[in-house]
Amino acid sequence: MSEAGVIHDIGYQRYRGPRLGRLALQQALYVQGLRAAFGLGRSAKAKIFPWLVAGIMLLVAVILAAIRSQTGQVIFTYMQFADQMSLLIIFFVAIVAPQLVSRDLRSNTLPLYFSRPLRAADYVLAKYAAMTTSMWLLLGVPQFIMFLGAAFTTKDGFRGVWNELGDLVPGLGYSLLWALMFAGIGLLVASFTGKQAFAAGGIVAVFMMTTPIFGVFMSLPSTTANSLAGLTSPMFLIAGVGQWLGGGADAEWDLGRFGPIYGIEAFCLIVSCVLLLLARYRKVASL
Amino acid sequence: MSTVAFITARGLFGRRRALLLLPLPILLVGLALLCRAYDVSPDQWGRAVIVGLGLTVVLPVVALIVGTGVLGSEVDDGTIVHILTKPLPRRDIILAKYAVAATVTTVVSAVPLFLTGLLAGSAKLGAALAVASLVGALAYSALFLLFSLLSRRPVLVGLVYILVWEGLLGNFVSGTKVLAVGQYVVTITDKIAPTTMIESSVGLTTALVMSAVFIVLGTIAAINRLGSFSLAGETS
Repeated sequence: MSEAGVIHDIGYQRYRGPRLGRLALQQALYVQGLRAAFGLGRSAKAKIFPWLVAGIMLLVAVILAAIRSQTGQVIFTYMQFADQMSLLIIFFVAIVAPQLVSRDLRSNTLPLYFSRPLRAADYVLAKYAAMTTSMWLLLGVPQFIMFLGAAFTTKDGFRGVWNELGDLVPGLGYSLLWALMFAGIGLLVASFTGKQAFAAGGIVAVFMMTTPIFGVFMSLPSTTANSLAGLTSPMFLIAGVGQWLGGGADAEWDLGRFGPIYGIEAFCLIVSCVLLLLARYRKVASL
Repeated sequence: MSTVAFITARGLFGRRRALLLLPLPILLVGLALLCRAYDVSPDQWGRAVIVGLGLTVVLPVVALIVGTGVLGSEVDDGTIVHILTKPLPRRDIILAKYAVAATVTTVVSAVPLFLTGLLAGSAKLGAALAVASLVGALAYSALFLLFSLLSRRPVLVGLVYILVWEGLLGNFVSGTKVLAVGQYVVTITDKIAPTTMIESSVGLTTALVMSAVFIVLGTIAAINRLGSFSLAGETS
């Protein structure tokens, strides 16, 4: 600290220890965001909703694992698990995204944050990383439970476990794609309002109203429109990318030759969400 | 009472906030127009647009945003004190706010649904959808108004109801359909104007009686709740 920055020197002892830089601030924000996502370190009321969602998903995973180990029947694959839980994922986004960004807007903590060496980009990236991690945990842990259930009851010995792991890893990658996409859109919507209630409503409206568009495009007579139907909704966009990369074994609809477009759009959507978030936080004073 | 209604309406629509409610209805009508332009038979797109978007997304989501907005945001801001300290019966406050919420929800959802029904079939289908969405708006508004008095986070409670109760459980457990407003709306539409697009799963009497139960019990419970309402400090 240079003495030029001092306004009043009233004789207090100065802090002369090491100062943690931006990285430490970013890390602290990330950890705090991840804990806040699940209501850790907060009152019991804040834990109800995230753990309700997490509990249902864990329960489903345990049931699936139990059925698999008893009867050997595979009800959902690792990828289908994420697709089937889409409503709960939307709900989770509506809970967590306003927690992470709207609260800071509401309680005017942003000027405090930015009076530190922290930059707006660090703030956005830390929040985005925290949200993505929390969603990935939400999906990945149940998938891992399903894997454990399958791995311990496999009859082919070590090779069976290895095959199962080969299924799990793409499943986890798929979950990461869900997490990246939904975290980006959710945070972007939530960052426009300080009211958590409005943010939650807005997020659900965005995700819910894009889903039926897929059904409408599917019913159009043109096959091109049918192949491109998934582009209209984030959920089906991810499913399309999964289909394109996974070879389309369990195709819900025919992508045709448009597979790469799904990949490109998914990438562009995620990147543009992050860029828009960065642009959003360039001017925080003018809320 | 009319002042309370006026303030509530201004709180909902003031500062261009009303524009937030526009995209959903516009999307609904736009999709219907798109399908009409492509000359697709309504049997193919009707279900996706009317039931998939209109009755299960537009109506509940608009009702949720409006229904929790009329009272929940005032509880959140603490401005509810100003109304509570006026010499007004609590019943009048609830009734005024309920009337505003139900009216706004009806207008925002019934008009586009009527147009969609008109595009998908006949004026009769449109009218059936409008009537059904009126009933749905009344029932949903009563429910969400009550939620905003029961919980500090009414939107999330309402979302649990819409997504988990009606969305997730409704698909797997058929017993919950008797207690889901969305099913009443579908049933009423189906009974007024039977089409192949819409399938009802509860009886008409059940739908009407249960809607009335939702409306009356929800409002009475909300009045009771506001009667003994205490302002808690900021929690969690």
